[in-house]
Parts: sequence; C-alpha cells; structure tokens
Amino acid sequence: MVIDKGDDDRAGASPASGGVYSDQHLRVSDAEREAVSGRLAEHFAAGRLDQAEFADRVGRAMSAKTRGDLRGLLADLSETGSPAVPELARGGGGTPGATPGGGSRGPGSPIEFRLDAASGVPTYLQLVHQVEHALRLGYLTLGDQLPKVRDVVASLAINPNTVLKAYKELETKGLTAGRPGQGTFIQATLSQVGLPELAGLRKALLGWLTAAEGAGLDEDGMVALFTSALRDFHERRSGSRTRGGAASGETEGVA
Amino acid sequence: MSMNVVEASGLGKRYGGTWALRECTLAIPDGHVAALVGPNGAGKTTLLNLAVGLATPSAGRVTVLGGRAPGSPVALDGIAFVAQDAPLYKNLSVADMLHVTRNLNHRFDQGYAEDRLAELGIPPNRKAGRLSGGQQAQLALTLALARRPRLLVLDEPVAMLDPVARHDFMAIVLTAALDDGVSVLLSSHVLAELERVADYLILLSRGRVQMVGEVDDLLASHRVLTGPAGEADRYAERPVVHVRRAEAQAHLLVRATANDPVPPGWESHPVGLEELALAYLREPGAAALPGPTLPGPARGRHAEPSEVAK
Repeated sequence: MVIDKGDDDRAGASPASGGVYSDQHLRVSDAEREAVSGRLAEHFAAGRLDQAEFADRVGRAMSAKTRGDLRGLLADLSETGSPAVPELARGGGGTPGATPGGGSRGPGSPIEFRLDAASGVPTYLQLVHQVEHALRLGYLTLGDQLPKVRDVVASLAINPNTVLKAYKELETKGLTAGRPGQGTFIQATLSQVGLPELAGLRKALLGWLTAAEGAGLDEDGMVALFTSALRDFHERRSGSRTRGGAASGETEGVA
Repeated sequence: MSMNVVEASGLGKRYGGTWALRECTLAIPDGHVAALVGPNGAGKTTLLNLAVGLATPSAGRVTVLGGRAPGSPVALDGIAFVAQDAPLYKNLSVADMLHVTRNLNHRFDQGYAEDRLAELGIPPNRKAGRLSGGQQAQLALTLALARRPRLLVLDEPVAMLDPVARHDFMAIVLTAALDDGVSVLLSSHVLAELERVADYLILLSRGRVQMVGEVDDLLASHRVLTGPAGEADRYAERPVVHVRRAEAQAHLLVRATANDPVPPGWESHPVGLEELALAYLREPGAAALPGPTLPGPARGRHAEPSEVAK
C-alpha cells in the first residue's frame, strides 16, 4: 500500500491513493477513509485548513465512496506548498506547532478563542470550555500549543488574570503543561475517541435527528429531549455507582 | 506584592454643602485592573481626584502605592492619570506633546512612546487636535504609559470611543498590565464590558461605597433564584439583595453560592456582573463589603439619586 516515503508532493496524498492510475472509481474501505481523515487533521493542525473547511472535508471523507472522492479532498493540500491558505505557507515548514516564539499570527496555536458576552458563563470558564471542546473534537491534539497569554489579552481585550486563571485551571486538570519561555502545550487528550469514531457517532446522531424530525419534533424539542435523556443517563450511572438504589429521578437533580 | 495601590478610610469630600463622597473605606490591592462604577454623580471622579492628589479630603484619609500621600514625590512619580476628556494640548504636534511630557517628567520612555505611536499609525507631525477621538485617547494613554507608572488611573477612558477604538484602547491597557505589571484603576459607567476587563470592582452609589471586592468572589457569592411569587417573602434563608416580582414569578438576587441548597420549586442561576451591579444600584440599602466596616443602610439625602448607569 505505502509506496515510498519520499518527500515529493505526491507523498502527501499517498495513503489514500495507494494504487496507481485510473482507480478513480474503485470503492474505498473504512481504513482508507480514516487515513484521509488523519491527513486532513494534520493539514488542519498546520494551519492549512480552517475549522469549517476541516469539519466539512472530514464529513465528506467519511461518506466518500470512491478513491476519486477521497483524492479530491487532498488535491489542493500538500506538505510543501499550501494553495488553500497561501499566507500561512511560509511559516509552517511542515511540522505543526513546532516553532514557538513565532509572530502573533504564526503557526503558534491551532485554535483561537472567542467570547460570548451574552452566555452568562464566566470568561475564564469560556476559555476552559473552548479548549476542552477543541480537544474533544480533535482540533487540538497532544503537543499543540495554546495561544500565548499576551496574544489572547491583546486580541480579546480581556483581563490577563482571566487568561492566567483559565490556563491554570487547564493545568490543574492535567490537560496542559507550561514550558518555561515557550508557552502552554497540550499534555493529555480528553477522550480516546478518534476522529473516525466521532464521525461515525455524528452520523448516527444525524440519523436520530432525521427520525426525530419525522416524528414531528422541532429543534427545541430535540434539544429538550436530548438534555433530559442525558440527565437520566447521568443519574442512572452515578446512581448505580453509589449504590444499586432506585434512581429517585427529579428531586435529586433539583436539590 | 501585598501592597494596596489605593487605601481609604472614612474618606469624604464636600463641595459647599454637598458631600460628593462620604465614609469611603476601601483597599485596592496591587496587580489588579480595578473598575470604579456607579451612576453619574456617584462620586467616581471625586474619588479618583483624591487618589491622584488633585483634591484634598474634607474628612478621613487616603494613601496610595502602599501608604504614600497623594501628591507626594513618590506618588507623583508612580501614578499616571488620564482625566476624562483625554487632555492634550490641541495645538501641539504629536512629537511636541512627547517632547513636553518627557521634559515635565522624571522618567519617560521615548522609545516606547515612539514605537507605540508608529504601531498605531499616528503621524508625529500631526497636531493633537486634528487626530480622531480614538487616536487622541491612544496618544494620552501612550504618554501616560511611557512614564512607566506603577498605577495607571483612567477617568471614563472609553466613554467617548466607538466600539473598535474602545476595544483597541483596552487591549493596550490590559497588555501593559500583563507586560509591566501596571495596576489599573479606571472609572466607567459602561457596565457591560467590565466583566471581561476588570478583576476588581468598586461600586459607588450616592457618594458611598456599596460593593467592593474581587469580581470572581462577588459573582461566586451571589445567585439568582427564580420561583413562585407567592413564596418570595418566605425565603429568608439567605440575605436577599433585590427582588423582581410579577404576579406569578419572582426573581431574587441572594447572597449564596452555587453549593447552597435551593428551596423546592425554585431554580438557582449564576449572575452576571452587570445584573449584579444593577441590582445593588437599585437597592441603595444593600451593601456587599468585606470586613467589619459595614455601614448601615444609606440614611442620607446628601446627594440626589441620579439615573442608573446604562
């Protein structure tokens, strides 16, 4: 399958295009779909894809039927040049997140924070949640760098202590570690669920959503049902952990 | 590190027969971005002027930078103050403003000032009065920061700025706080933006300090309880700060934490800084102050209650 590890441009697409020429219509296996998702994640980590584009392409990769479908997803991405996002090409020499001390917009961190003033969630918690979220969805992986405190302060105009508090919280949770003079880096992943499994779960959920819509539920109804089911699930689990007692339902959750 | 940048006890200022500030007792610790908020006429500018030595107390005392008298050489050297309307000599060029400021001050970082102005794209030969509002504010801030102060005092710094200029201005203030460890004390009546900017809050109302403390502590020690209006009066487990009530439903702002029990039939929600400050401003009798200096409910009629901050 793997032909050579030479670093010509085609190496970037080799895992998916193992066979040679007119195999455009050959059916692909799950393994090949996963390999392409992995490649996309690397391109995303190197800054060649933005979040929306990445999510879209992974979705298309998981539903791809032929090699032609898969190849199209990687066609405009390569290790050396990056036609998709040209202005980032010079900075990222191929190794994601390996060059600390770059410019404020350099290849430093794969994520950027945003704030929702209307959410009512304390600012530092919003930052913590966004890192956890990015970890769960695979936007952040081991060794990735978090945005520098100074860059976060300057770009969001927020209190430095808030950023420091968020980063400390992440460190306390064991998710990140500070490296003196370099910054803060991801040290652990939140879930062992890989991108392919996530895509599979997402697909199952989409199926559920379609069924729910068919049954006449609107969006709010779906959210309410999901939230309530999640609570039941949570209660049953924590109930069975403490003792085998009957889950006493609502009253426990409210108190 | 445990120095207080501003400390006041029983501080008061009277203009004629009116107390602009009364029985003000507080201690603002070093290393914070402290916000001084309150309605118009609450005494914010008076308190700032007392702290920087532009006014003298009628009662009580105030010290700065760990026990120094306002206006003393150490205090003058360590505190930079930008008054409400970004005071500049409008007919001087930007370069001349730098020159004047450098010569009037003991310490002035010319390189820092020039770099900052270049970054901001402010031309040195332009007259200060011809700059945009945002640029004038940035110039005044640059002059203040180039003095390398330990405490930066800003009176309503962003009131006149558009949202983008406001964001850029605060980004520079907060970056200075991070890079140089500058403590900041700023007054504002734009409550909405304070939650992300300030980590210490002083709420002034009618010349008195009504609430003071670390923002996180203040938020963590208050909850909003929502439940049936008929039971609102019976809820006395925790001090109630403010009640909003309709026929069926009531919202109580109480002093409680997320871990405190909630009565059956009630829901407990966290509270935002703006909602918290507004609730206190609407209840002049309520106070959230640390230590033993809890004053009783405001009994005075010494200042007119003005409209509540937006």
